[in-house]
Amino acid sequence: MIRRRHVLALIGAASVLGLQAKPCSAADLATTAASFIEKRGNDVINVLNGNSSTDAKREAVSDILRDSVDVRGVAQFVLGRHWRTATEQQRGEYLRLFEETLVRNLSSRFGELRGVTFAIGRSQMASDDEAVVATTVNRPNNPAVNLDWRVSATNGKPLVIDLVAEGTSLRITQRSEYGAVVQRSGGMDGLLRAMRQQLAQMEQREQAN
Amino acid sequence: MHRLPLRLAAAIGLIGLVSGCNLPPPESDPEARAEYFETNDPLEPLNRVTHTFNDAVDTLLLRPAAEAYRIFIPQPVRTGVANFLDNLLLPRTAVYSLVQGTPDRAGSAATRFAINSTIGLFGVFDFATDMGYPPMFEDMGQNLAVWAGTTNGGPYIVLPLLGPSNLRDVTGRAVDFFTDPWMYLGQGDTVEALRVARIAVQAVDTRESLIEPLDALRAGSLDYYAALRSAYVQQRARDIRNEGTGQVRYFDWSGANRGPR
Repeated sequence: MIRRRHVLALIGAASVLGLQAKPCSAADLATTAASFIEKRGNDVINVLNGNSSTDAKREAVSDILRDSVDVRGVAQFVLGRHWRTATEQQRGEYLRLFEETLVRNLSSRFGELRGVTFAIGRSQMASDDEAVVATTVNRPNNPAVNLDWRVSATNGKPLVIDLVAEGTSLRITQRSEYGAVVQRSGGMDGLLRAMRQQLAQMEQREQAN
Repeated sequence: MHRLPLRLAAAIGLIGLVSGCNLPPPESDPEARAEYFETNDPLEPLNRVTHTFNDAVDTLLLRPAAEAYRIFIPQPVRTGVANFLDNLLLPRTAVYSLVQGTPDRAGSAATRFAINSTIGLFGVFDFATDMGYPPMFEDMGQNLAVWAGTTNGGPYIVLPLLGPSNLRDVTGRAVDFFTDPWMYLGQGDTVEALRVARIAVQAVDTRESLIEPLDALRAGSLDYYAALRSAYVQQRARDIRNEGTGQVRYFDWSGANRGPR
């Protein structure tokens, strides 16, 4: 009887430990993700408020983004089923354009982003290996905006995989768009053409600013 | 003049009929099929035509009106007007929260209405937010979603002038038209004029608050129609789950008139 009780106690202890082990590691990612977003956010803001030229700023921001966003993963998610049917060459070109769009999207707004500040809010697990970090972004003379950053650490290093602005997920919206463009403009090449066109427009806007 | 909208509707309908429906891809392509049902936009050809029409009206009329409103009406006045208009719909929001099975939210809406209608001077000033009763809004479309137990609102529909919607929200809108208590109170030409004014100001005010978000969506998108469709579905899902926080408007007496609230 005693032995049995011991065994039961052991199982009980193990299950308690087991139960605790999971939230513990999960809490770990939630905390790491929050400090990761805070650090990276401050890095970007330092660049934005600096006095270097737009080109130099774009280079610096681009380095930060490459290092903190799972560009390839997001790009594949956005392209969805069309990734598999794309040729090797199309994939390469798509990845290149996707990354540049990401950077230009930010750099074409350097002017309006001056003086931006942010506060880290709640950070919690969204799934077993993904955390969501809530931030509130303030710009002078503008209403505060809630941005949620979805962070994954599949390879041990935290990387941003989605940005949710006031409830609208960037990657889901983009997937819907890119899918529509592929369908309507005649496949991958149509999409790549549209992306190049958009980049040219962004470049123009950036120079106008 | 009266027949113009009818003709317009007929013209749009005709283009839609000519452009036809999107039919599901064959069973042999399950991924394309999954995407088709996820997007849920069988009327896309017609919807795109309506979208183009709406976009033209927006560019020519609504957005300029919203910009003029922002430029010529002082910020504190705009805030007061918007607060007043929002307040009018709180009683209905309270009832809708009740039928959604969230009596605590119904209580919050009723309390907010009571506070702002009295010490807030007919809703112009929002004291309730600071007292723990933030802005709220419920509509029939959200009720239907809660009752159906899904955020899936059926096929996407772009309404002429009114914009993005779906089968559920079109139904909801029709009901909402009849459950607006202010449609029944009072009579006479003045009241009629006030009703029309309310709808017009509401439209301009809503558009004013969307100038930056929609500009950003358009500037950053490869396909504005698809971006708007996706954003609409996501925003409605968030409204239904009551995850969003209503917009709190602040009075800015500094005299800085330009720029959003």
